[in-house]
Amino acid sequence: MDVRFENVSKTFGKSAVVDQLNLASDDGELVVLLGPSGCGKTTTLRMLAGLEDATSGDIFIGDERVNDIPTQNRDIAMVFQNYALYPHMTIAQNIAYPLRVRKIARDEINRRVNRVAEMLEIGALLERRPRELSGGERQRVALARAIIREPRVYLMDEPLSNLDAKLRVQMRGELKRLQHDLGTTTIYVTHDQAEAMTLAHRVAVMRAGKLQQFDTPMNIYNRPANRFVAEFVGSPSMNFIEGRVDHSSYKFASDALTLDLDESHLARLSGRDRVTLGIRPEHIEVSTADHPGWLAATVYVTELMGNETFVFLRVGGEKIIARASAEFRAEFESRVFVKIQMERTDFFDSKTGLRI
Amino acid sequence: MSERYAARKVAKSQSPAKQGRPGATRTRLARWSKYVLLSAAVLAAVTPVYWMVTISLKSEVDQFASPPRWFAFTPTLAHYYDAFFTRSFAKYLTTSLTVAGLSTICAVTLGTLAAYGLARFKLRGKLDQRLSLWILSTRMFPPIVTAVPLFLMMRDLRLLNTITSLVIVYTALNLPFVVWMMRGFFRELPRELEEAAMVDGDSRLGALVRVILPLVTPGLAATAVFCLIVSWNEFLLALVLTQTDASMTLPVGIAGRVTQYEIKWGVMSAAGVVAMIPILAFAMAVQRYLVRGLSL
Amino acid sequence: MMRSLGKNRSHAATVRGRETALPYLLIAPTVAVLVALSIYPLIYAVRISLQTGSGEAARWSLANFTRLASDKFFIEALAHTFIYAVVALTFEFLLGLGLAVLLDRPLRGRSLFRSALLIPMMLPPVVVGVVWRLMLNPDFGAINGTLKGAGVNTESLTWTASPVLALASVIAVDIWQWTPFMFLVLLAGLQAIPQEPYEAAIVDGSTAWQTFRYVTLPLLKPAILIALLLRTMDLLRVFDQIFILTEGGPGFSTETVSLYIYRTAFRFSDFGYAAAMSFVLLLLTNIVSVGYIRLLQKQEAA
Repeated sequence: MDVRFENVSKTFGKSAVVDQLNLASDDGELVVLLGPSGCGKTTTLRMLAGLEDATSGDIFIGDERVNDIPTQNRDIAMVFQNYALYPHMTIAQNIAYPLRVRKIARDEINRRVNRVAEMLEIGALLERRPRELSGGERQRVALARAIIREPRVYLMDEPLSNLDAKLRVQMRGELKRLQHDLGTTTIYVTHDQAEAMTLAHRVAVMRAGKLQQFDTPMNIYNRPANRFVAEFVGSPSMNFIEGRVDHSSYKFASDALTLDLDESHLARLSGRDRVTLGIRPEHIEVSTADHPGWLAATVYVTELMGNETFVFLRVGGEKIIARASAEFRAEFESRVFVKIQMERTDFFDSKTGLRI
Repeated sequence: MSERYAARKVAKSQSPAKQGRPGATRTRLARWSKYVLLSAAVLAAVTPVYWMVTISLKSEVDQFASPPRWFAFTPTLAHYYDAFFTRSFAKYLTTSLTVAGLSTICAVTLGTLAAYGLARFKLRGKLDQRLSLWILSTRMFPPIVTAVPLFLMMRDLRLLNTITSLVIVYTALNLPFVVWMMRGFFRELPRELEEAAMVDGDSRLGALVRVILPLVTPGLAATAVFCLIVSWNEFLLALVLTQTDASMTLPVGIAGRVTQYEIKWGVMSAAGVVAMIPILAFAMAVQRYLVRGLSL
Repeated sequence: MMRSLGKNRSHAATVRGRETALPYLLIAPTVAVLVALSIYPLIYAVRISLQTGSGEAARWSLANFTRLASDKFFIEALAHTFIYAVVALTFEFLLGLGLAVLLDRPLRGRSLFRSALLIPMMLPPVVVGVVWRLMLNPDFGAINGTLKGAGVNTESLTWTASPVLALASVIAVDIWQWTPFMFLVLLAGLQAIPQEPYEAAIVDGSTAWQTFRYVTLPLLKPAILIALLLRTMDLLRVFDQIFILTEGGPGFSTETVSLYIYRTAFRFSDFGYAAAMSFVLLLLTNIVSVGYIRLLQKQEAA
């Protein structure tokens, strides 16, 4: 079932937590709401769940406007950040709860609990209680409780954020596969851009209550709508250089450095003076040897990641991060040379931050 | 290698202190004086109670012996028989049990519902917080302040010397306490539990009954026990509201005998022991919550 | 995240309207009971305190309040209450703190000591009265019996029957009964202090006394304040034990405000004057309880 937000706002007193949100998912799609804490993504999800009232606007599940339908009648399932397992019930009772409150026959409940438990490999835990389980196991139970019914939508509020790094990556994959197999529309909230990129069919990036961009992960990464999205997605973050465009000399000049522009750049930048240039760390080449046309830079620090190296540089007064191979070595304060791949640069309006 | 060297160096630098061992002696001395002081305190706390228990079990000859007989006496249950079969103490005991039980049920039921409302809902104009504080503030009235008007009110309603009046008054006496205790217990539970239950298709009240109440049961039980203790121990309001044999509680009954039959020490002590025993049992049951309960 | 249920009504519909009414339905019975049995009596008391005479002859006047100032029994009862409160509070606090410090660290038999020390506090006040009547009886009490056995002349040691010793005796009984309360609250406060500040203080080279003075006491302050405020409120309204031990006597020597109000109302049936006096007591305890509620609010906010 598809989900739609039409001009939805949520205000507390004078401050808008969600501001005029318009968002529509397709049926069976996995949409990730991504943004820093306080951006309104969780409030959006809670409004969809009916745990918060929208101040204005309409929320639809399928063709039904759900604003005035209480949570329990919205036919949804939700996985909470802290899992919200019922501590006094066994795992089996936890998973069975959505069926129990719908007065489904006990045989049927048992059958479905066993099936779901098998699917998530928690069959051996059914008689235990939540406190006896590890974080990863609890996570599976919370998932099992959500998928035991066939609701119209799954809501997930940072479901992986309480897991350790290794488990998070593993569960991420399992979640993606599970969602594919079930084919149910899923709205997934996270602040972790890696989760968003790997899981989503489409990502909705939010900031301060406003939707910034709603697009596929590839487009979010490669064609960020504005400087905020460009900065938020990708690790290490995109480099930004404030500067001026000199249309006559085909140059982009900041206080610290000057770069050559070509025709296509100028076409894009026509009529502009001050712009922000954005370049991802993997699009900056670093070398200890000088090449013609490369810029001189000073190494501030290098971070060896094993499979690659992050090089923190100073080019003139600009601080820049570049991604180099694992073999790259340089001393503190040593002199190196960089090349900015001009064909991979993005430009943003210095005032509005919008992509040009 | 170097680690071991460092360890040896530390050991060496400590050795002069070890030789004389003044520290060790001082700790041992401190520990012994701790035990002596604590034992003295326990003795002071328990001896008077023990004395009452012995009096309740002593024949009058032993009671008035000089010097006092702390251990050597022939125990007898005569005073208990006297108090509870010859005199009316059995009746007082029943009254106390009834009043404490009924008022506790009322206070816990009403108070728990209110506490849930106050713990889980944000009301307009911070009404939830204001109401909570107002409820707490009613607990601060000295009992004598309300005793005078309550006596007159109950007299007007012709409820003096009835168990009903005590049940009503004790319910009100315990309500603020129940509200604050239970509000605390509710607030300790993550809100997501009810939210999960509602997402799973349960109503708000269904979530309260199936998810929240089972989780606060220990706290609820402790709160109820505190109410029982308060109702059982209460004296001033019972004294003011009940004066007949048929309606007075155990404390009022004992207090009456204390002044009338001063010399009937055995009866008085026997009644005192019976009044004390359930309280001590209750107190042990709620030890874990004692601080929380008593600082409200 | 901020949460609010039923804050915005622009889309209020019947289904969610029920949700909005629910908290009020839950709270209403409690509020009703408290209004009927706490607030209404207070208003009732205001009314009778402002009237003299009764029935048909009742008329409005401030006589009950003007009478307070010149009633030397009332002034004396106030004085007794203050002395009682100050002396008992001081001893209870110091003894309670001492015991709490003794039992703060792990010790063999700690929970046994703790439980035994709490017994006096749990006893019904009436039983405390009985217990100490038996202990303090001048002729047959355990205390004088023991002293006599040790060769002490107990003729003048008539405790609660002596005009000189009676007040001290009832105060001593209060200390006996309520030191455990101080001990309990302060012990809980001590146990709630994390280990790290102590370790930091030792590393920084502070002595045991310095640690107590500069680490323990400041961290214990909230618990100390709560304990003091609650005890003060109870001490100002003290009634039960004194009523049973001495009924305010001998003479007037142990009459506190609560006892005097009780006597005025229920012995002399002067309800209006009793109500007027009870407002003075209410004012006194209010000052203390406001402090207590402020403190609680601060803790809730934290």
